[in-house]
Amino acid sequence: MIKEIHNKLINSEITATELIKGYFQTIDEKDNQIKAFLTLTKDSALEQAEKIDEKIKGGKEINVLEGIPYAIKDNMLVKGVKTTAGSKILENYTASFDATVIKKLKKQGAILLGKTNMDEFAMGSSTENSAFFATKNPHDLERVPGGSSGGSAASVASKMSVFALGSDTGGSIRQPAGFCGVVGFKPSYGTVSRYGLIAMASSLDIIGPFAENVEDAEIIFKSITGKDSMDSTSQDISVDTNKTQNIQNTVFGLPKEYFQEGLDDKIKKTIEEVIEKIKSQGATIKEVSLPSTSYALPCYYIIMPAEVSSNLARFDGIRYSSINDYPNLHDIYFKTRGEGFGEEVRRRIVLGTYVLSSGYYDAYYKKAQQVRRLIAKEFKEVFEEVDFLITPTSPTFPFKIGEKVDDPLSMYLSDIFTVGANIAGIPAINLPCGKADNLPINMQIIGPYLSDFSLLNISKTIENIIL
Amino acid sequence: MDFKEIDHLLELARIELSSQEKEKIALDLGKILDYVRQLQELDTNNVEPMTGGTLLENICREDNVNKEKQDLSKELKKSASNLKDDSFKIPPIF
Repeated sequence: MIKEIHNKLINSEITATELIKGYFQTIDEKDNQIKAFLTLTKDSALEQAEKIDEKIKGGKEINVLEGIPYAIKDNMLVKGVKTTAGSKILENYTASFDATVIKKLKKQGAILLGKTNMDEFAMGSSTENSAFFATKNPHDLERVPGGSSGGSAASVASKMSVFALGSDTGGSIRQPAGFCGVVGFKPSYGTVSRYGLIAMASSLDIIGPFAENVEDAEIIFKSITGKDSMDSTSQDISVDTNKTQNIQNTVFGLPKEYFQEGLDDKIKKTIEEVIEKIKSQGATIKEVSLPSTSYALPCYYIIMPAEVSSNLARFDGIRYSSINDYPNLHDIYFKTRGEGFGEEVRRRIVLGTYVLSSGYYDAYYKKAQQVRRLIAKEFKEVFEEVDFLITPTSPTFPFKIGEKVDDPLSMYLSDIFTVGANIAGIPAINLPCGKADNLPINMQIIGPYLSDFSLLNISKTIENIIL
Repeated sequence: MDFKEIDHLLELARIELSSQEKEKIALDLGKILDYVRQLQELDTNNVEPMTGGTLLENICREDNVNKEKQDLSKELKKSASNLKDDSFKIPPIF
């Protein structure tokens, strides 16, 4: 898709201005129903497009991403543009610098169309926790697009942007990509700088792309990855160190814990059909076991809130907004945070405060960190036996708006198959692999730590097998 | 979880809630804690806690001044509306 548009631009079949105007027209037509965008950056987008058109007219070469329209989740900072993270507490906050991913995409000439809706501070699996409005699933407007990066997923699925960026802490790229039927890639922890991403849980957060196909996701990942002096956990990943995988000598593991009860029959059947096709191409399929799988979600619901309670302490009513006229400092803190944070965010801050508090720290937080190591080790060991794992992305189809919003635990279970990769810091991708009752069915491919490029490569092969 | 405990946590977290909201959060936290308690089933004796996003060792760097960050501090302060002489202005504490 990106290369196609790039060729049209360099062959003057379309101008960048026409392209961008076209996308804004699609947004005009569709977004009053889907509600994927919180802010549009039309003026700067058109201005940038004009410059690119002049460049092309002047016979200058352009980069593959130059002129390509994209959207980003509203928890990434773009200088001079409103950045809310889907929260009332940041309703009037304008970013004072560019996130590293934005800096990189700007340098390569990609054109930002706008910022997308999300669950408040990325906490949720349906985008219903946005303080502003709920985003709808483009395949069925009565259903959720998934979350927390639901706006980004919906914008790509409804062709309101060519690609989008999201963030994934426990599944927030892969689950909405699955619900909306697009490709969503969660890279290895640390391979994309988090500088300028509003932190949720710093040891789990990673930025990654939404795209129509794996080739596009790879182009975007290449353009945003790399070590950054502003994020000490970031690191370079070399393309060359990853072997190009040939499907015939690839071993795929099917962790049996991911195919047990709770998984929708239609999803199971479709994935099994895809696995048969992969097998018929000469790949080896092996059943494996990850016995700690069921502990990944409870482990996540201790570590993540602990980090949340600490990261969100910065929203004190003083530094990121206009100070309300409260008579004392106590009221500024307590009232701003009580009114500014939504229910799910408050729940996680209090939960995190509890698991970190004196007397409970060892039983909860330390225990979870130990379990985290067990889970990471288990993945490491399984990758000595197999090259990649194939699993479902989500146990269910997209659910109805309002269905789970009052039951936090049942909402949390949406991420049951995706959190493992965050706990272990390893890369994972959502691939659309079928449809039932007009709703997308998806699978997840998980690879070893830093195998991102070979994971993307094998995903391209599998994408072709599915087609 | 009782109200006294919730009040203590809300005090630590600097969040004000109505009594109705407190009731709801106590109920929700009870359910979530019941769920996460299943980790106690696992034997983690002699397992070193994993404190970061990877199994890699910490990387240290030279402690030097980052010019980019220095220039940024003025910009960052602009996010707050109530500035006086380059400092945040808040009501008196004492």
